[in-house]
Amino acid sequence: MKRLTTLVLIMQLFCAVAMAQEIGHYLGGEKFMYAETKQINQFFRRFNSEENLDGKRIYEGDPNFHHKEHRTSYIRMLFDNQNNDITESVKNEFIADVTNDDNAKFLDFYGGRWFAEVDTKFKFNGQTRTAVLFLELEKENLGIKWVINNVYFYPFTKLFYADSTAATKFLHPMSHELDFMNLIKVFKEPNTVEYYFDEGFKPDFRTLFLYEIKKGDLIFENVEKVSFHFFQLDNWYFQLREFNRQGNNSGWLISNISKIPEDQKEALLKYIHYEK
Amino acid sequence: MNRSSIFIAIFIVFSLVIGAQAQPEISPERKQAIDSLALEKVKDLGKYISIIGNKNTPFSEANRVIDRALELFSEGSQMGVSSLSSPDIQYYGIREYFQRLMALNYDRVTIEWFNIEYISDLVRQPDGRYVGVITVYQRFTGESDDGMKYVDTTKKDITVYVERKQTQIQGRVIGFWDVLLGDIRVTETKPG
Repeated sequence: MKRLTTLVLIMQLFCAVAMAQEIGHYLGGEKFMYAETKQINQFFRRFNSEENLDGKRIYEGDPNFHHKEHRTSYIRMLFDNQNNDITESVKNEFIADVTNDDNAKFLDFYGGRWFAEVDTKFKFNGQTRTAVLFLELEKENLGIKWVINNVYFYPFTKLFYADSTAATKFLHPMSHELDFMNLIKVFKEPNTVEYYFDEGFKPDFRTLFLYEIKKGDLIFENVEKVSFHFFQLDNWYFQLREFNRQGNNSGWLISNISKIPEDQKEALLKYIHYEK
Repeated sequence: MNRSSIFIAIFIVFSLVIGAQAQPEISPERKQAIDSLALEKVKDLGKYISIIGNKNTPFSEANRVIDRALELFSEGSQMGVSSLSSPDIQYYGIREYFQRLMALNYDRVTIEWFNIEYISDLVRQPDGRYVGVITVYQRFTGESDDGMKYVDTTKKDITVYVERKQTQIQGRVIGFWDVLLGDIRVTETKPG
């Protein structure tokens, strides 16, 4: 078995070299490409020290796996260095916290509490409009998939609770005695119908969004930009964005970071989701 | 699949299938072997792109290579292309992308590859297949006889689907891992 494996490796090496020669010569100057955080996957691995300097995966048992010093230097590289709002003291505090010997913190792809924010362009009533989709990972069977779990679409927000005379919008408590004949007044004013709904009513933008798509009034055009929000590490929030620029500080980097108590994360989450 | 890829696939079958029956989990060793196979496919793709983009390639040969290249992909795969001047993603079917490459109006086209690739972990989808992404970088140069020259460097994030399949060889059922390429996101980068 061992001999067979060796033979496989030799064959693979031979074939890889042969292929490289067929393609033609390779270019030089890859230094920045090595430094660039090329995938979110690489962000996770670098953050946790789960790959070597060549970007090859390392596993538990390897002396460099979850190596504290390596993590410290890796994580320092994972900040957007051109963002002056991310101060050295915040970086130091964050790195010290997540690499703490007593309670080191790692990112877990399957661990939840992180999600994507995707700005998309849709054609709506003849105009190109931005719709913000929020996606999270959801387990199904033995696998996992991204699902849309929230939508923000500005034109929908203008449809609800925009009337300043809301105080007069109700069905009086004896309406039942008149077979609710006053409903005619409610539906005569489509812009204010929502005020006649119960206190707990909250417009579901996802349903509206689906309805408009199925009617053919919302047509997908493009993905504009993508970012990721991480709430996974206790008492920290950070955002990832891709920086397509010259130099080694490029690719997927921390563009925003806050130290935030766990009990305040819900408010920040609502803010990110455009909820009041 | 070309001959070398077939060789590798067969060796992987024999080296990995033993003891791996009905075990869809991917060990680090198996992952490494699958990565090699996936990289071969990506390199095959690179070779095909160079041939299709080469102005000296006869039309019929380029079309034949397009058909070969399409065999690397799962059905319905697309290219999503954006540039520094036009960040909007343009979506093309794979065949359409190759045909556009073939029809480029340059007298000389050179496609070179940077000696780096990044291979993600493999993640299992709800349908049982595994999916990963390989990132490679490419430099494209198009030159016209009148001295016009266009150069760009692109990052290509290539979807890789990995599926456990079975085949019969001389009456024996043998499992193997098959690799197909999927959607490709092409982003123009600012090198250096």
